[in-house]
Amino acid sequence: MSATTTAHSSTAAPAMDKAERARIDESTRVPVLLFFGSAVFWLLVGTLFALLASFKMNAPHLLDQWGWLTFGRVRPAHLNAVAYGWASSAAIGTSLWLMARLCRTPLRHSKLLICAAIFWNIGVLLGIFGILSGDSRSIEWLEFPNYASLMLFVAFGLIAVWAVIMFRFRQPGHVYVSQWYLLAAFIWFPWLYSTANILLNFEPIQGGAQGAVNWWYGHNALGLWFTPIGLAAAYYFIPKVLGRPIHSYYLSILGFWSLALFYSWNGMHHLIGGPFPAWMVSASVVASIMMFIPVITTAINHHMTVRGNFGALKWSPTLRFTVFGAMCYTLASVQGSFMAIPLLNKITHFTHYTVGHAHLGLYAFFTMIMFGSMYYIMPRVVGWEWPSARLIRWHFWLVAIGIGVMVVALTIGGILQGLALLDPGITFMASLDYTKPWLFLRSGSGILLTAGHIVFATSFTLLLLKAGTRREGPTLFGTDQGREPEPIAP
Amino acid sequence: MNAIVYILLAAGLIFFGGSTLAAFYWAAKTGQFRNLEDGSKSIFDADEPVGTATDAFADKNADRPLRRGAIALKS
Repeated sequence: MSATTTAHSSTAAPAMDKAERARIDESTRVPVLLFFGSAVFWLLVGTLFALLASFKMNAPHLLDQWGWLTFGRVRPAHLNAVAYGWASSAAIGTSLWLMARLCRTPLRHSKLLICAAIFWNIGVLLGIFGILSGDSRSIEWLEFPNYASLMLFVAFGLIAVWAVIMFRFRQPGHVYVSQWYLLAAFIWFPWLYSTANILLNFEPIQGGAQGAVNWWYGHNALGLWFTPIGLAAAYYFIPKVLGRPIHSYYLSILGFWSLALFYSWNGMHHLIGGPFPAWMVSASVVASIMMFIPVITTAINHHMTVRGNFGALKWSPTLRFTVFGAMCYTLASVQGSFMAIPLLNKITHFTHYTVGHAHLGLYAFFTMIMFGSMYYIMPRVVGWEWPSARLIRWHFWLVAIGIGVMVVALTIGGILQGLALLDPGITFMASLDYTKPWLFLRSGSGILLTAGHIVFATSFTLLLLKAGTRREGPTLFGTDQGREPEPIAP
Repeated sequence: MNAIVYILLAAGLIFFGGSTLAAFYWAAKTGQFRNLEDGSKSIFDADEPVGTATDAFADKNADRPLRRGAIALKS
């Protein structure tokens, strides 16, 4: 069982040794832990709102005696708590760590980031409070009242400035594909966020154009914020964990630039059939189909990099979550492109199918990759291993089965609902009956996800408290089974 | 007030659109699109080389591939 690692010629970048890598990882500790810690907190809060909103679909009068717990407030509270509280905080934490590693330099100006984390959390807290107390802007993805979105903008701005400074002082060498994705997200998103907020909340434009701005922003939040950061993590962790370079680096670069070119056009496909100029919607449908280019390049790359080594999913927590997420990225994106075709959109629009798609994207793809990243980053930042492989295993299966059931249930329920809505012989109220059993299944899957999140939060807290005895090796699945991991194929 | 907002937004559009083009130009000029084979290996190091799985913890005393035995690279 001797390691027969072949000596590859060194790359253009200066070599980094263990001590230096540890120093770089350690330099990210405070800001990364701040963002990860708040991410886990908001994940739990967001899940609670999600469960409540889902239960209200089964029992509409549940807790409706309190205005601030009515569906119209709980549902946006869920969306914003998971999108800005959980997903964005986890994304920022992961990105900070990745930036330091990829720039090959210790993290600078951590005070800037600590400030950003404070502003961020105050913003999300004020925003959620605002939504619950009836201050919501009622614009999907931008429900936060102005006093909250200003806070988030300050945080975004600070992080963008930090990212540019980090990049400026990086070690010489190749700019890895993940770094392109991260810089794109950090530099584009504050602009998207501020532009959309100005045009909708501060100096509102009139009429239908609001819808266009709303979905230009809403889709870009996924396409130019979450997607690039999720892909940056996948492009780093899959090769890094396997010790195997990306299958085709050429395709990965092509994927980045084609995503940059096409994704920002996609938003208008949310408005098919709406009162908008036909060219606007058509251009967006075309761009949505063009998304096949970045999606297929990424799918080929991730699949071919892991191919022959799927056995590694048996032992590596990071890889298991990340590969699950990467596969769901392909699924969600292909599904999204098809949903933009007007013929299919006619059925799925305004149904639970869209909700299933949103969860496939933001949960099965993005959140799973964030879990995977946190499993890799946390031990290196804290200096302590994950306390229990069993907890990680439970976490994985609870959330994997949970999200699987949810997406399938909402997809089937959504199609039935869509067909019923199109049938002139079925009344609107009767069309809702088709969704009932699937919404029960959705609440069931929500319970699984909640359990998974509680397991994860427990694991996370135990790690932070440095519970148990110090371990030498990594926490892998099945360490105690005495089986050797399968050899990595070249 | 409105005019200022629109001027700012237009300037943002030009600036951010332009910066993307500039980044692309910079990448092409500085050879980021050349030697892609080497580029893909830039995340590996002498002590975490290609062929070594790293879901391992960078502990003081855990500088080896994997606890359960090294990963052999078939060649």
